[in-house]
Amino acid sequence: MPQSAEKVLDHAPLFREPEYQAMFANKKAMFECGVATEAVDAQSEYTKSWDYREKNLARESLVVNPAKACQPLGAVFAAAGFERTMSFVHGSQGCVAYYRSHLSRHFKEPCSAVSSSMTEDAAVFGGLNNMVDGLANTYALYEPKMIAVSTTCMAEVIGDDLQSFIQTAKDKKSVPQEFDVPFAHTPAFVGSHVDGYDVMIKGTLEHFWKGVERKPNGRINIVPGFDGFCVGNNRELKRVLDLMGVDYTLISDASDQFDTPSDGEYRMYDGGTKLDDVKEALNSKATISLQHWNTRKTLDYAAARGQDTASFHYPMGVRATDELLMKVSELSGKAIPEALRLERGRLVDAMADSQAYLHGKKYAIYGDPDFVTAMARFVMETGGEPVHCLATNGTKHWEEELRPILDASPFGKDGKIWAGKDLWHLRSLLFTEPVDFLIGSSYGKYLERDTGTPLIRLTFPIFDRHHHHRFPLWGYQGALRVLTTILDKHFDKYDHDTVIAGKTDYSFDLTR
Amino acid sequence: MSSAQQRAQALFNEPACDTNKAKDATARKKGCSKPLTPGAAAGGCAFDGAKIVLQPITDAAHLIHGALACEGNSWDNRGSASSGPSLWRRSFTTDLTELDVVMGQGEKKLFKAIREIVEAHRPPAVFVYSTCVTALIGDDLDAVCFRAAERFGVPVVPVHAAGFVGSKNLGNKLAGEALLDHVIGSVDPDDVSDMDVNIIGEFNLVGEFWAVKPLIEALGMRIRACIPGDARYIDVAGAHTARANMMVCSTALINLARKIEERWGIPFFEGSFYGVSDTSDALRQLARLLVDQGADGELLVRTEALIAEEERRVWNRLAPYRERLAGKRVLLNTGGVKSWSVVAALQEIGMEIVGTMTKKSTDEDKERIKALLKNEKHAFDSLAPRDLYAKLAGGEADIMLSGGRTQFIALKAKTPWLDINQERAYPYAGYDGMVELVKRIDLEIHNPIWAQVREPAPWMDGAAPSPTTGDADFVARTRKKFASATVDEMGEC
Repeated sequence: MPQSAEKVLDHAPLFREPEYQAMFANKKAMFECGVATEAVDAQSEYTKSWDYREKNLARESLVVNPAKACQPLGAVFAAAGFERTMSFVHGSQGCVAYYRSHLSRHFKEPCSAVSSSMTEDAAVFGGLNNMVDGLANTYALYEPKMIAVSTTCMAEVIGDDLQSFIQTAKDKKSVPQEFDVPFAHTPAFVGSHVDGYDVMIKGTLEHFWKGVERKPNGRINIVPGFDGFCVGNNRELKRVLDLMGVDYTLISDASDQFDTPSDGEYRMYDGGTKLDDVKEALNSKATISLQHWNTRKTLDYAAARGQDTASFHYPMGVRATDELLMKVSELSGKAIPEALRLERGRLVDAMADSQAYLHGKKYAIYGDPDFVTAMARFVMETGGEPVHCLATNGTKHWEEELRPILDASPFGKDGKIWAGKDLWHLRSLLFTEPVDFLIGSSYGKYLERDTGTPLIRLTFPIFDRHHHHRFPLWGYQGALRVLTTILDKHFDKYDHDTVIAGKTDYSFDLTR
Repeated sequence: MSSAQQRAQALFNEPACDTNKAKDATARKKGCSKPLTPGAAAGGCAFDGAKIVLQPITDAAHLIHGALACEGNSWDNRGSASSGPSLWRRSFTTDLTELDVVMGQGEKKLFKAIREIVEAHRPPAVFVYSTCVTALIGDDLDAVCFRAAERFGVPVVPVHAAGFVGSKNLGNKLAGEALLDHVIGSVDPDDVSDMDVNIIGEFNLVGEFWAVKPLIEALGMRIRACIPGDARYIDVAGAHTARANMMVCSTALINLARKIEERWGIPFFEGSFYGVSDTSDALRQLARLLVDQGADGELLVRTEALIAEEERRVWNRLAPYRERLAGKRVLLNTGGVKSWSVVAALQEIGMEIVGTMTKKSTDEDKERIKALLKNEKHAFDSLAPRDLYAKLAGGEADIMLSGGRTQFIALKAKTPWLDINQERAYPYAGYDGMVELVKRIDLEIHNPIWAQVREPAPWMDGAAPSPTTGDADFVARTRKKFASATVDEMGEC
């Protein structure tokens, strides 16, 4: 027997033992009634062809391996960035378990969120009772300072009205009348997590700003957007803004919530934007968004309240950081300090040092629209070619905006933009128009396996590598990190390709 | 006078070296590299130089007798390539410690180390390198090597180039002496022919000799030994039976070529595989020498036919680059690499040479420079780092080609730079190598990072203290940083 009490084998080696292999072969031959291996191989080969690609791209109804998540995930993430705030998702509890595990697996941190646990009776009679009981329980059990309500599809399909439900719950003393319960309708069948982020932020601002008179001051509000790297990014952003001496408020900052220390104390809530600061943020001179496609409604609302607004696409890379700093400098009247000019110079120096290795490299990039735009720009700054830019939650407007950015560079003019396409489309694209590297999330590992394109993990979700999110991608320091990550993958591949002793190791060099 | 000094003196008196011939007796006695300045930055030592020359002999074991650092810091730091054995990249050292030094256990340890190598690897030979520590405590390398060879039945070659003996270049030459004293002529091959040649001073960096080897073999010549690039010990040991030698890096090994000629009557010529016309010349001269030595005259016809065909092919491949590179200005800081035909090839696709160094060029080379360059002032004997910096910072060139040591002068002066020396990742030798070089220049010049490098941060106005190219003060200030650096320490090869 391959398994014994003295040395118990894990499943990975166990199923490679001859007994198991024989059993699998037997099962396949006797019971599976499958087609011949040749037929499977032929079909597998066919999926690599241009012919298949055209059929694949002509797909109308089926989505295979979408690179997006649903609205409430964005809403839960947005809510996690406020002081002692519990996410309360009105609907069925299974959805919420997904958001929690999704965020936990990425951040390697606990993630708290509750649902109104709607069941069949709620679906028939409406979820009001679940809201009333749920808010009361949440308030009593978890002692939040604010409960941020969003919705799952279930509540949206039956048409529950959050505003009146919450008011009714307060009237029934679930929570005190003055207790903060902002809300957002976040049906998963509309948009994606970036839109859920948007409406939750907007809902929170509306909750605090509605009916309040604005007394403008010189402060700047900054909305970071949905960002799996918020831990590293927000801290870097704050460091840079502090260096400049800017007076600012981050609207939703989950950097501490998703990075709590192990010191014996469990923190259900940590850090986040103070609720008083959110109230006060109405008076700020301007609200700027670091991810345009995450914040369109939020910015409209801020503009409607009389604030200046500006938006960026994930400030990563030299130019993108330049643009952010100059805008902040312009709005705040604070000069960009020498320290940042030096950091910029060091980044440019590092890029020049390594440029020969990155020049002309071809990339496929996927992720949220802002990330893809930012990554494509940075890749072009290093002399790389963004050949495929894909965002499942990218819109036609996103495509129209990115096109001229690519066209403006000789490195981007041949790049293709795939708005609304999924990772199974990308599989065909990688087979027919191969690239050197794939940039995306952990889900890209299946593409890496199938197509052999090395995957560089630089965006949410990253489940199978640890702690990347603790380092920034934004700003000049962040760009250095991105540069190093790309280079590491390049050099790893270089080594891997030259590693066979006595065959290819004549180029297995110590110095690269 | 110690024997090490005598040896060094003999090497300095190199009759085949044009520079040496032009010197008077006193200058000759001073040697070919300037004495090192204590306190000033300097390059590698004689040990390093010897190891560079011998280590590419791929099937031999290379044992460094000394404290750990000599081998530890230099382990596998050169880009020579092997088509077979990998033993040469294994790091062997006696790793002497304090007690070994105090108690004088070095020789015993060395003997045991040789035995362990022979037992474990059965190499065709073991090279044993002395280092400062073992030379100072007086370990008798010759005796140990002699006894070990006798006992284990394997050639054990002592290499006397402890670091303090002198410069890296001297170490190159001392390694050549070790080959002459112990290796070359020790084996008589049984397949000698009148088409056998040796290539001396070719290191097969990034495998670039493999771009040339097929051409030589296509002509019916046989490479008895390429010393040291991708060499096998037995081939080097039989190198004395070749009919002609080509000397590639004469700076390193001119003594070897000359003494082989003296001892075994094998004529040599100095040539290079860098650039189109130099590659053609090298093939032509190899053929000529062989025919002079008695090979069939038909070889010359075959050679011309091959050259014509290859040149046509390479110019066709280079043509597309003209559009992208015409008018671009190149500064060549090539040190030991003879590259006049690189100049010719770059000019052929429309690039302009705004500077080149002639310090290591012969009178004949200088004549060719005059013929090639529109402006004679663009030929410099040598440029001190500070002048190099000033030229680049002044925007006089679009790219500098040089070795790694002047890399950062270019980068800090915001100028694209291409490594054409030993740490580069791409082969440039032969006809196809020239195409690779031009392709690399193209990529380098057109990388978008240079626009970023040259521009100040976008929030800086012209008045701000930004190191723009036109800022004379900045250039002057920064020049000072390089002021104490000498040309030699930035030297290449």
